[in-house]
Amino acid sequence: MIAPPRPETGMSEDETLDSLRLRLAPLVAANAAFDGWSKDAVAMAADDAGVDRDVAALAFDGGAMAMIDAWFASVDVAMLTRFPPDALATMKIRERITALVEARLAILAPHREALRRAQAILAMPRYASRAAQLGWRAADIIWRAAGDAAVDYNHYTKRATLGAVYAATQFVFVNDESEDHAETRAFLARRIEGIMNFEKAKARFTGNSDQHFSIPRFLGRLRYRAANR
Amino acid sequence: MTGPAPRPGQRRTGADAMLRVDQAGEYGAIRIYAGQLAVLGDRHPMSREIARMAAQEERHRKHFDAMMAQRGVRPTMLQPFWHVAGFALGAATALLGPQAAMACTAAIETEIDDHYGRQLDDLGGQDPELSGAIADFRAEEVEHRETAIAHGAESAPAYPLLSGLIRLGCRAAITLSQRL
Repeated sequence: MIAPPRPETGMSEDETLDSLRLRLAPLVAANAAFDGWSKDAVAMAADDAGVDRDVAALAFDGGAMAMIDAWFASVDVAMLTRFPPDALATMKIRERITALVEARLAILAPHREALRRAQAILAMPRYASRAAQLGWRAADIIWRAAGDAAVDYNHYTKRATLGAVYAATQFVFVNDESEDHAETRAFLARRIEGIMNFEKAKARFTGNSDQHFSIPRFLGRLRYRAANR
Repeated sequence: MTGPAPRPGQRRTGADAMLRVDQAGEYGAIRIYAGQLAVLGDRHPMSREIARMAAQEERHRKHFDAMMAQRGVRPTMLQPFWHVAGFALGAATALLGPQAAMACTAAIETEIDDHYGRQLDDLGGQDPELSGAIADFRAEEVEHRETAIAHGAESAPAYPLLSGLIRLGCRAAITLSQRL
């Protein structure tokens, strides 16, 4: 059991700044909808959690990016809690991906305004590489949770494709006023359908390479004609 | 035993990079043998021996594949390049002649033997699962080198030059795959 919080900081005995960040991040997001991704939002979140304001400020020393980073990390944790491996085991791969992305959206749903503000920050050129890293991290965790075991270039193309789909889906999501986010879920389903069609076409194109003309095989027949007769 | 055992969830970046480069190496070896077999065809007297070695490399790679998936280690970004380069090296040496193909195998396996040896030294007792696999596979790589030499690797044309170039390329590939 977690040790009781110490009165002076509000942190429990063995809590690190990292775990504090994860704990506070959703509260920061809740306040960021009104205060923006700012020190004020961190201070409000600290008050909500009963944590010392200075300790919270230290945890989010890196400014808005540190807050958004921690928030997305807390979404990762929440997603994996909702879908432990055995909950996914009976699904097909595309169902797992859909379920995991929808779980993320459900976790983000109460904080859509904060997400909109986060997107505005991530779209700034100076944060382009951090934004790409965060997108990659989300796609990586989704694929791993879905049981991906690719050990070739597909490892990278899978994450790039899903990262793009997830980012686009989030943009639809923040403007989606439909019942139960039906519009977003339809958008996501269409994107995944498109990827599946592409993969099928790719498999047709790259399959049965034995049938194609092969230069090395041709040269080999010339070089070792005698040996093969 | 040296050093504390890694805690669960702790990043084993050293071991991760080793696994990545080893998997890339086994993959490259399979592609080299595939290139040689494409040129030699399956009726050449040496094809049988090469196919046997390729099957062993396939077993090594499958083992590393499984370990990577289990540990969540990303593969090397250069995999599409090794796919082409390995095949090209195998095909080119096989076109030079059967002895040159064997010289290529001998040169590569010499480097791999050194490389695995260094990894085993670096690992010490930290990661018994990985070092066990490496020690197991290393024995087969040494056996491949001896097979290659027994099949006339050293009588290949310009053997020292060929061998030197391939070993240089192999070392460069190892360095690159560790980083990328």
